[in-house]
Amino acid sequence: MKGRKVLPWFGTVILFGLLLSVASLPVEGADKPAAYPKPPEGANVPIMPDAWKTAPRTKATSQEIDALLNKSLEADKVKPSPLTSDEQFIRRATLDLTGRLPLPADVTEFLADRSPDKRARLIDRLLDSEEFCSHWGRYWHDVILSRATDDRIKRLGITRAFELWMAEQLKARRSWNQIARDMITVEGALKYGPENADTSNGAAVFLLCHQGQEAAVERAAETSRVFLGIQIQCAQCHDHPNDIWKREQFHQLTAFYARLTERPIRMPGGNRIEGIQLISKPNGEHQMPNLADPKKSTTIMPKHLTGEPYSGGRSDSDRRKALADWVTAEDNYWFAAAFANRIWGELMGQAFYQPVDAMGPLQQATYPDVLLRLAASFRASGYDIREFYRLIANTEAYQRQIRLGDSADEHLQFAGVYPSRLNGDALWESLQGVLGPMQAGSRPQVTGPAARFLNRNSVERQFKDLFDFDPSTKPDEVEGSIPQALMLMNNPSINNQMRATGNTVLAKLLRAYPQDDEAIRMLYLRTLARKPTTAEFDTCKSYIAEVGNRNEAFEDLLWTLINSTEFQTKR
Amino acid sequence: MLTNDLHVRMNRDGVTSRRSFLRHVAIGAAGVTTLSWMDAMRVQADELRKRGMACILLFMPGGPSQFETFDPKPGTETGGPTKAIDTAVPGIAIAEGWTNVAKQMKDLAIIRSMTSKEGNHQRAQYTLHTGYTPSGSVKYPSLGALVASELGNPSFDLPHFVSIGGRDAAGSGFLGMSYAPFVVNDPNRMPNNVELPAGADAKRFNRRLQLMSRLEEDFARSGGQARVADHKALYESASQLVLSPRLKAFDLSDEKDALRDRYGRTPFGQGCLLARRLVEAGVTFVEVQSTGVMGAGNWDTHENNFERVKTLAGVVDPALASLVADLKERGLLETTLVIWMGEFGRTPNINARTGRDHYPRAFNVLLAGGGIRGGQVYGSTDKLGRGVAENPVTVQDLFSTFCHALKINPQKENMSGVGRPIKIVDGGSPIKPLFS
Repeated sequence: MKGRKVLPWFGTVILFGLLLSVASLPVEGADKPAAYPKPPEGANVPIMPDAWKTAPRTKATSQEIDALLNKSLEADKVKPSPLTSDEQFIRRATLDLTGRLPLPADVTEFLADRSPDKRARLIDRLLDSEEFCSHWGRYWHDVILSRATDDRIKRLGITRAFELWMAEQLKARRSWNQIARDMITVEGALKYGPENADTSNGAAVFLLCHQGQEAAVERAAETSRVFLGIQIQCAQCHDHPNDIWKREQFHQLTAFYARLTERPIRMPGGNRIEGIQLISKPNGEHQMPNLADPKKSTTIMPKHLTGEPYSGGRSDSDRRKALADWVTAEDNYWFAAAFANRIWGELMGQAFYQPVDAMGPLQQATYPDVLLRLAASFRASGYDIREFYRLIANTEAYQRQIRLGDSADEHLQFAGVYPSRLNGDALWESLQGVLGPMQAGSRPQVTGPAARFLNRNSVERQFKDLFDFDPSTKPDEVEGSIPQALMLMNNPSINNQMRATGNTVLAKLLRAYPQDDEAIRMLYLRTLARKPTTAEFDTCKSYIAEVGNRNEAFEDLLWTLINSTEFQTKR
Repeated sequence: MLTNDLHVRMNRDGVTSRRSFLRHVAIGAAGVTTLSWMDAMRVQADELRKRGMACILLFMPGGPSQFETFDPKPGTETGGPTKAIDTAVPGIAIAEGWTNVAKQMKDLAIIRSMTSKEGNHQRAQYTLHTGYTPSGSVKYPSLGALVASELGNPSFDLPHFVSIGGRDAAGSGFLGMSYAPFVVNDPNRMPNNVELPAGADAKRFNRRLQLMSRLEEDFARSGGQARVADHKALYESASQLVLSPRLKAFDLSDEKDALRDRYGRTPFGQGCLLARRLVEAGVTFVEVQSTGVMGAGNWDTHENNFERVKTLAGVVDPALASLVADLKERGLLETTLVIWMGEFGRTPNINARTGRDHYPRAFNVLLAGGGIRGGQVYGSTDKLGRGVAENPVTVQDLFSTFCHALKINPQKENMSGVGRPIKIVDGGSPIKPLFS
């Protein structure tokens, strides 16, 4: 960009004079004093905040993050919520980090543990678990699939290859910059025929979510949204209506993908498609359409958003490697901040920039200085994923009780944790944790190499179709639906597993605990990972007496706990 | 038992007494039990719907070729091999393969001059469902959600907006979950999970719900208040649906075989029949998708256009015609707007794979009912079908026309998620000549 003056970045502001039909982004806490200094109107704003140049090159401690946050809370006269109880904490941390409920034995042990650092050690255990990898593998799968523009990729369960690939990266402890680089520069094929499935190239799903003529544009948009938190596609047809991006910049970014295309791989001798091949074209440049005259267009050469022209090799491979270099560069604030903002948002329920993928130099943020320190710490650690989760999970901020403002979308300024809904995966895992593994549906199971990612229980599929949501959605905008309620209330497979007879989890529990008092407590421990309150306990006892049939009453109780708000919510 | 049911339903639905119900129906004391269940439902349904209007949308994803549907150009270089056939209305000819629609033409109106700028499937489907182009920051509600929120009676126990054959292209957007489409995947079966599971009758179900309210207090008190309240409201709506005697509307086995055959025994055909039943029972808006799983298929005929449209027409033609005829026979056509449309049309030029590609510049839409005068064509395309010749109709004009038929004010503003007022239709004007 030419002639940009350097300005103190510390304030961000939303431009209210919108030119076109895009609405302004919600103003977060604009009436709070002192937290959001605004730069002068109309002044040039640098892409990378100045404070990033002088940001610390050291990893932060959780205490440091708390101190920064508490200073702002004090200045704004916001009283933080008290800390969670151990019961609340183990459920929250286990659900957040590993997407499942803690086992009753783990809860009991944790409560009995008297050591002062037990929370830190719990966090370490959860981060080292297998489930951490599979849970976050699914998370990133949902992040990219929610915005796929090509329907074909969703068929046949091929997208699970991405989920499994991401889980493998996390297991191998690869850093975020390495993972990002792989997703941008991936080459080769993704094969998903039942006989010869090869999902080692699962990273390719990221680019293959978009195919055909508009693919380069969509790939550029997603690269920006997922890795930089910036919705640059608003600048596809005109200058971005509420940030600094010019239309040309969007197309210059797109040009990095101009020589990449794809082609289906057909089975030998037949028409059936068994995979997709990524293909690098030897030539061709991106054409930016002329909006006044559809017959005309302008050739656009690749150029980074910060203005450096691309002067490397001519091949698709060279270009995407250069793009990956720029995206993951140390001086790229948005790369570190996008991850920091998103993961903080996942754990705290609300993020610094909301929605988590609408960041940028002119977007408004809550306490941007805290985000800056988190991003700097992430960078200093070499973009170590587990270190970052550890940093947040050990803060007081993360360990505070849940809190809701006067309206669903009020920003709590991290004075408490926002009680977000569990996503489809965590809820399904919780349900299985309580009821045991769901019996397989009637769908024929695939054998062979594709089995690990094609077979899916039909009840699971129905469940996830209903309960999954785009993880980048603001938490207050995720709502329950009638079909969700119907599923948990009436689904025959789920109800079968709630029976008090036979070999179900409930049947075993009732046999193991013939005293009602104990059975009630065990049921609560299993479904909600806590003891019932006195009032709840009394209500259960009188209910059992009213019904007059132990098995029926406990089936009803189990049904009630599974259909409760608490079961579906982070606490 | 039918008598008792009626009594109970009326109280819940706000009709005050059995006597007033009987007065409305004007039958003698002995006559109550002779009312068929569906007849009784129909009388009540009109009372329930605020202004008595309903809407059925038959959506053709992929973009149906206007040349092979309702604007043929036989004998021209762009018309392909498609012949035109006469209809019951002299002077109106449509493409071959639509014989049932041709017979029903007196009740149908064709708009041949639709024009838009969106040639991308997802964007165009969104636009043809919401009347707006997609925006990153506003989730516009689809027509179904808008109509449901304007006309649906809040105490009605079935969903106001039902989508048969899959989700619709836009959902309820900022209007929220209460107007989200209730999806019926297979019209030949009851919707998923609406029936109580074995071993749990209505009594036990109600008992469970009461236990649930008692046990939610602790969570509500420790910070989850608003969430518990929302959850409770949601469960109340869901349980109303489960316990509703109107659930039978979803059961097609209630219908005579001859009628089911007339619609066609494809999921799409049966979906149209289900749409009629739902509207009869009081549902405000039903959308039926012509998708692959519905036995119809996608209209995106980039390849082998003529053969594929022939197959598609074989499914949709009897269904569309039977739906309009059936509604008319039951006296429902005046109060039900029927829309047949896709997201754009197809190119006049036939490509190298005997297909036609996307063409939003000129395409057609078919309407019936809702006060629309049948047996007419509005607007025209030029001789080769390359562009609109007379009376171009934009998506906003089309939506304004829908509002006019349904007696909805298109200028009314709803609040989007960020508190920005969004008109039901942004501009455009209704096509007055379409109405009698």
